[in-house]
Amino acid sequence: MSGGGPPRKRNFKIEAFKHRVELDPKYAERTWKVLEHAIHEIYNHNASGLSFEELYRSAYNMVLHKYGEKLYDGLKNTMTWRLKEISKSIEAAQGGLFLEELNAKWMDHNKALQMIRDILMYMDRTYVPTSHRTPVHELGLNLWRDHIIHSPMIHSRLLDTLLDLIHRERMGEVINRGLMRSITKMLMDLGPAVYQDDFEKPFLEVSASFYSGESQEFIECCDCGNYLKKAERRLNEEMERVSHYLDAGSEAKITSVVEKEMIANHMHRLVHMENSGLVNMLIDDKYEDLGRMYALFRRVPDGLSTLRDVMTSYLRETGKQLVTDPERLKDPVEFVQRLLNEKDKHDKIISVAFGNDKTFQNALNSSFEYFINLNNRSPEFISLYVDDKLRKGLKGATEEDVEVILDKVMMLFRYLQEKDVFEKYYKQHLAKRLLSGKTVSDDAERSMIVKLKTECGYQFTSKLEGMFTDMKTSQDTMQDFYAKKAEELGDGPTLDVHILTTGSWPTQPSPPCNLPPEILTVCEKFRAYYLGTHSGRRLTWQTNMGTADIKATFGKGQKHELNVSTYQMCVLMLFNSADGLTYKEIEQATEIPASDLKRCLQSLACVKGKNVLRKEPMSKDISEDDTFYFNDKFTSKLVKVKIGTVVAQKESEPEKQETRQRVEEDRKPQIEAAIVRIMKSRRVLDHNSIVSEVTKQLQARFLPNPVVIKKRIESLIEREFLERDKVDRKLYRYLA
Amino acid sequence: MGMAAKTGRGRVRLNVGGRVFETTADTLASAGRDTMLGAMLDASWNAGHDPDAEYFIDRDPACFAVLLDLLRTGTLHLPPGLPEPTLCREALYYGLLDRVRAARAGEFDGDRLRLAASVPGRAPGDGTAVRAAPDGGCCVAHGGAVRVYNWLLEERRPVYLDHAPVNDAAYLDAATLLVAARERPGNRRSDGGGGGGGGVAAFSALTGDLRHRFRVAHWRQPRSFTAGALELDASSNRVFASCKGRLNEYGVGVWDCATGEQADFFYEPPGCALGDADKLQWLDATSTLMVATMFPRTDASFLTLLDFRDDKSVVWSWTDAGTPASLEEKRAVHAVVLEDGRSVCVVNQYDDLGFLDLRKNAGGVRWSSRSKLAGKKKKVAAARGYEEETCYPKLAAHGGQLFASTNDTISVFSGPDHVLTSTLRGSGGGAICDFSIGGDRLFALHNEENVFDVWETPPPAII
Repeated sequence: MSGGGPPRKRNFKIEAFKHRVELDPKYAERTWKVLEHAIHEIYNHNASGLSFEELYRSAYNMVLHKYGEKLYDGLKNTMTWRLKEISKSIEAAQGGLFLEELNAKWMDHNKALQMIRDILMYMDRTYVPTSHRTPVHELGLNLWRDHIIHSPMIHSRLLDTLLDLIHRERMGEVINRGLMRSITKMLMDLGPAVYQDDFEKPFLEVSASFYSGESQEFIECCDCGNYLKKAERRLNEEMERVSHYLDAGSEAKITSVVEKEMIANHMHRLVHMENSGLVNMLIDDKYEDLGRMYALFRRVPDGLSTLRDVMTSYLRETGKQLVTDPERLKDPVEFVQRLLNEKDKHDKIISVAFGNDKTFQNALNSSFEYFINLNNRSPEFISLYVDDKLRKGLKGATEEDVEVILDKVMMLFRYLQEKDVFEKYYKQHLAKRLLSGKTVSDDAERSMIVKLKTECGYQFTSKLEGMFTDMKTSQDTMQDFYAKKAEELGDGPTLDVHILTTGSWPTQPSPPCNLPPEILTVCEKFRAYYLGTHSGRRLTWQTNMGTADIKATFGKGQKHELNVSTYQMCVLMLFNSADGLTYKEIEQATEIPASDLKRCLQSLACVKGKNVLRKEPMSKDISEDDTFYFNDKFTSKLVKVKIGTVVAQKESEPEKQETRQRVEEDRKPQIEAAIVRIMKSRRVLDHNSIVSEVTKQLQARFLPNPVVIKKRIESLIEREFLERDKVDRKLYRYLA
Repeated sequence: MGMAAKTGRGRVRLNVGGRVFETTADTLASAGRDTMLGAMLDASWNAGHDPDAEYFIDRDPACFAVLLDLLRTGTLHLPPGLPEPTLCREALYYGLLDRVRAARAGEFDGDRLRLAASVPGRAPGDGTAVRAAPDGGCCVAHGGAVRVYNWLLEERRPVYLDHAPVNDAAYLDAATLLVAARERPGNRRSDGGGGGGGGVAAFSALTGDLRHRFRVAHWRQPRSFTAGALELDASSNRVFASCKGRLNEYGVGVWDCATGEQADFFYEPPGCALGDADKLQWLDATSTLMVATMFPRTDASFLTLLDFRDDKSVVWSWTDAGTPASLEEKRAVHAVVLEDGRSVCVVNQYDDLGFLDLRKNAGGVRWSSRSKLAGKKKKVAAARGYEEETCYPKLAAHGGQLFASTNDTISVFSGPDHVLTSTLRGSGGGAICDFSIGGDRLFALHNEENVFDVWETPPPAII
């Protein structure tokens, strides 16, 4: 290691080595010039003279020899320069040609970009990722965005042109949708942000003000139905527009603008519009309009609840009128029929126009429940309606029809709060039907019972079913009676006895009247027979409920068969031995209760065409001083004459009171039982909780009155089922 | 595809470096439009081209023959005397490098692995982790650096995070590497700003350049921290890291992996160990994160399942803390959640596998004693660095198989009952201190001299 020569030599060598690696910078410059020229030629549509392989290799060599940056920056500058040129030519385009020029240049740029990318593929793969630069394709799009779309001369002109075209299309002009499609697609290709910021946002703003103005104009001059038609059309147009030339993501945004401006902002005014709003549509069954309203309102917040509220209050109001109008209360059958029609009407609206919307169905149900219970005679009327249908109304109807009607009735029944009142009436009406043999169809009767049973459980219908059992047993008993005692009875009157179980039937205890001796004999024979087969039972004759068919011969020998009640029969039989009898005499002989007797005589003597008795003095009403004569001159075209008793089908006011009282009386034990059940499990409970628990338990049958519950609690305390807590007087304790 | 430039019906003549090849346009098109050959034949470059003229390409014909064969057959046959790097260079020129890579090896199968390479390590110090890249490359962390290898196993520029000791690394994608490093003691700048070194950062795996750091703020105050294990949730682009702050700010940090913004922080609740974890594992099926902090890093092992939704909560946990401490006691030293997401597999210092049910809390470990399977009984000292250097076993689950490293061997278990189906013993670089599966490869980092073995599945047999 002496002397400075050798080390210096070594240093030189190293430097020489370094130089050898470096490429001639002129080579890089030359190569770039070739590539730059190619890029220009590509933009000039003059690429046919270019050799792809040569250009690819040139770009490869530049990257390989570490001139990647020069290549990349050169590309960026060249492309920027080209785009500035292009922007000038787009700016120069006149009026309507502007968009076409823009679109044509965009197509050119895309094509050029693809070819440039082809040449620079190697750079894209190697230099770009390692130096963290933007890939060529993306670079081309970014430059287009910055130098074309965001150029001051183009930016606002582009937006204005697009918005103007859309406005013109809204006003009915035909525009070039294909071109629009290309331009919006270009904006999307440049990135969702470009589409949104440079087009979508202003588009939505302009649309909002357009529809705000238009909806104002429409609402001043259109009725509700027409307005909704227009709104629907606009909505469809906007959706169509999106599908034709906007990005799919815009659909939700533009429809929400239309919904807000055209529906939400005018919601209340539309619903309540005079002579054409929701209520009018409901009245006139405008299914199409209602359907449209539903479909449109469903799109906006609170839309459906607004519709529902208006419908509910309308239903409640009309329903209330329906059930409280004294005129309507005259005919129970028609009253119920109206309710059913009302229900059918709205059911149809909900299924046709409101797509069977559950919330609307619930609103309908709650409205019915509300107003049906406003009239405390609804249970009676519904039962009367069934009575009417099962007596005669169903004659000729098929089984399915019966089912449909009964199902509808059950629907009304479900709305009733006082189901026990219904039960009471139903029992009465059923008893009358059964005893007078007026039921049209046994199947229909049973079907109704099954429905009630499914609805309210076994307890509710057990007595009703008992009535049917009694009817059946009675039939068997009578057959047996006549089979065994035929010879004993001889030619006496035929007796048909219904043996009614006490408690199952709605019988009022009434003292039996004096039966004519012929009848009495048969009755006694039956009694002997019955008690002989059933020991330990007691038979009481319900003469107030029976009927009789008697044969009568009148003055000129004309024979009629009279269909009368047991009471009437007793009265008429008296005239076998006397021509004239005073009221007092009749009363004494028959011992029929006065009110019943009066009614019975009235129907025998005062009804035109049925007056088998003659009364003196002639008058409409029966007084205790009247005298009655057998009416020899009675004539009738019919052989069989049915003499009805003057009965009000509908309950009279005092009867109503009586029924009500009986219902209240029946409720007492039920309420008490509920209280005891609750207290047995809870032991200690305060007053309010008991009331609410009891209400909850009983509401399937009726809605107990809190005052009544309080009374029952007090009664239970007296009878030492419960006691008040010594400290807290509001608490009750169960005493076991 | 090119309408012109065809000899005969769909035939194309290429002159590559003086050798003429004839093939079909379809064969060349199979390379894809996004390659040099695809572009060359595209209509836009052939407007004025004579249909009978041949294409000239100024490249090596021998390599082109191999690549043309690859396009024709889908298989790669390297003739003797043609070095792989040369072929890869040419493939890169044509844009066919991905095709070459895909053709080199078959689909990963733990039972058909063969040793493809053994790469000697150079750096001093113990390797801490090896991580497989999605494209078949890998990185090895040791000391203050992460050495990065591409899939040809050529070394790239190493990655440094302030030269702080690296605890873990993870590939965000083939080009981005996340590094978790320890805060250097003594650097007392706890006021944040990243001055303390350590933490988490994203680097370019290609160039080693720092992309950005992932910072942690506690109560709006930026803090420096030591980052332990890393994990990614690809579906929501989140990064998780076990974090240990100076002021007892222990927990799991969450960041957006693209921006590096802190998204969340799960503070360590009492009775859990989150801030100094050995392993994090994201479970897609249940959207939960498994945090494993294991003996001997801590006195006891803790496994915790975190739910980061709405109300951050611990949904499952297990620990062996409180069990009598004796040297013979079986201690779980590594854990992995199996791919069905229902159970955790743990391994103890005797190489026994154990299983825990994730669907019920408060269950014990079901140990399946198979320690004798390894053949020889090993005396493993509880204290580290005793006699010859040993490594604690590690676990991984991949493709329905379970992998366990025990000493210098990796065992492969298959099927629902985890039957031992293969054992991999490599180059003899000593015990395996870490291994990783990804990019159709298994990388095993050995303790001695940081050599790492690369295992891959050969291409399927021809017939």
